[in-house]
Amino acid sequence: MLTPELTRLRRILAAAGWSGLGLIAIAVMLADFLARAPLGAAHTGPVLAAPSEAFPFGTDLLGRDMFSETLYGLSTTVAQAGEAAVLALLAGGLLGFVCAHLPRPAGNVLRWAIGAFAAIPALLLALAMVALTARGYAGLAAGLAAAPLAFVRAFDRARAAGRLGHAEYARATGISASALLNRDLAYEFRDTLLPTLARALAAVAIILSTMSFLGFGALPPHRDLGLMIAAARTSYLEAWWTVAFPALALMLLILLARLAAGLDEGERP
Amino acid sequence: MWRFALKEGGKWVLALFGALLIAAALSALADPGPYLAAFGNRLMAFLSLDPGRSTISGLPAARELAMHGPATADVVLLGALMALMLGLPLGLLLGTGGMRRATAPVIQIVSAAPVFCACLALAYAAFHLFGIRPDTASRVTTLFLPTVAVGLAGTAAVQMALRRAASLAQDSPFRLGLRRLGLTAMEIERVYVAPQIFAGLLESLGEVMLTLLSAAVVAEWVFQSHGIAELFVKSVALHDWSMAAPILLVFAALTCTAEFLGRVGSRVLMRAAS
Repeated sequence: MLTPELTRLRRILAAAGWSGLGLIAIAVMLADFLARAPLGAAHTGPVLAAPSEAFPFGTDLLGRDMFSETLYGLSTTVAQAGEAAVLALLAGGLLGFVCAHLPRPAGNVLRWAIGAFAAIPALLLALAMVALTARGYAGLAAGLAAAPLAFVRAFDRARAAGRLGHAEYARATGISASALLNRDLAYEFRDTLLPTLARALAAVAIILSTMSFLGFGALPPHRDLGLMIAAARTSYLEAWWTVAFPALALMLLILLARLAAGLDEGERP
Repeated sequence: MWRFALKEGGKWVLALFGALLIAAALSALADPGPYLAAFGNRLMAFLSLDPGRSTISGLPAARELAMHGPATADVVLLGALMALMLGLPLGLLLGTGGMRRATAPVIQIVSAAPVFCACLALAYAAFHLFGIRPDTASRVTTLFLPTVAVGLAGTAAVQMALRRAASLAQDSPFRLGLRRLGLTAMEIERVYVAPQIFAGLLESLGEVMLTLLSAAVVAEWVFQSHGIAELFVKSVALHDWSMAAPILLVFAALTCTAEFLGRVGSRVLMRAAS
C-alpha cells in the first residue's frame, strides 16, 4: 500500500510529466514558428560551430542550425511515437484484455501465438516489419512490435482477475460474459488509460529512435532524433553538440512520458 | 514440484515451437515459389536442423551462425556477468525501504537513456580519455566497449527487477505477523524477504535476456563488432530472410529458455526457503 505522502508525490510527478509532455506538444506544433531556420536549411552558419549566442545548440557538418533541426526532429519523433503508442495500446493492452475473456481454448491459442512474438526483442520485430513493408511504416512497425509484450501482460492480468470473487459471483448469478467484460474493461481502463498510454509512448519512442539510428526509420528530409544522432556519428567525437542536444531532447521526451505514467519499481516499464 | 516443472517444460516446448513457426514463416519469404509450400519446406528443414543458406553470402546459415555466434556470445555472456556483478549489489542497496523511494527519480532518469545514446557516450569517453577511436578494429572496440554497453543495460534490468520484487515484498502482510511472533527485522529480511526478492529476479530472467539481446544488437552495430546481432540488422536490410530467420529463432529460443529456467529456479528457491 502506498502511504498518503507517496501517493501525493507520485501525483505531483505525474502532473509534472503531463505538463512537460504538454509543453513539448506545444513546441512541436509551433516548430515552424519557433525554429530559426527552415527544415534542412544548410549553410545557415559556419560548419560545426560550437554553441554560441547566435547558435545556442551549435551547427552541424552542413552548417545547419542544430536548435531548429532538433526541434524538427522532435516533431517527427513525437508524431510517429504518438501514433505508435495508440496502436500499441489497442493491439496490446486492450486486445489482450478482451482475448482473456474469450472461451478458454480460443484465448489460450491466441495467448500462445502472441506469446511467441513476445519472446523476440521488440526492436528486432520492428526492424523485420519495416524491411517487409517500407520505411514510411516505421511508426506502425514500432507500435505493433511493442504490442505482444503488452498483450501478454494484459492477458495474464485479466485471467488472474477472472479468478477473483466478483467474477465467480457474476457467473453464479447469471450475469452474461459480455456484461462482465464491459464491467472489467471499465475498471481496467478507467484509471489506467492515460498512464498506460504514457508508458507505451516511452517504450515506442525508444524503439522508433533506435530503428532510425540503425537506418530503418524516418526518411530525409523529415529526420527524427534517432536519424539526426546517426548522421552525426562522423562528427560527434570532435563536435559533441551534434549528438548531445538531439540525445537530450529524446531522453527528456522518454523521461517525461515515464513520469506521466507514474512508473515506480512496482510496475513493469 | 515435478508437476510444476513439467507444466513449465510443456510451456517452454510450445514457446519454442511458436518461435520455430515464426522463423519458418520469415525464411519462406526467401523462396520464389508459392508461399505455403515454401513455408512447409522451411518448417521441415528447420525441424531437421537445416536452416538453409544465406542468399547474400551463399554460405549455409548454420556456418554463418557458427562464424558470427561466438562474438555475440562473448558480448552477451560478459555483459550478463557484469549485469549480475553490478546489478545485484546496486539492486539490493538501492532496493531497501527509504533508499528505494529516494533513488526512484534518479533511476527513472538513468533508465530513460536509450542504449545507442549510452554507446555513443562510451565511445566519446574512450576517445577523449584514452585516445581510442571507435572505428578502429581492436579488442577494446569490438569486445570491451560493447560488453560494457550491454552490461550497463543488463545492470539496469537486473536492479529494476530487484527493486520491483523488493517493492512487492515490502507490502506483504506476513511482515506484520512475523513481527508479532517476535522475529527481528533483520531475521525477517534475511529468512523471508531475501528469497522473495531473488525469486522475483529469477521470474524476470526472460525480460533481462530480452534487454541483453536488444542491447547487443545496438552495441554491435555502433562498435562494428561482427556478431550475429549485427548480422541480423544487415540481413534484414538486404532482405536476406534465410539468414535473418535462424538468428531470430536463436534469440527467441534464448529468451524462452531464460524464462523457463527463471520460473523453475524461482519456484525451487521459494520452496527451499519455506
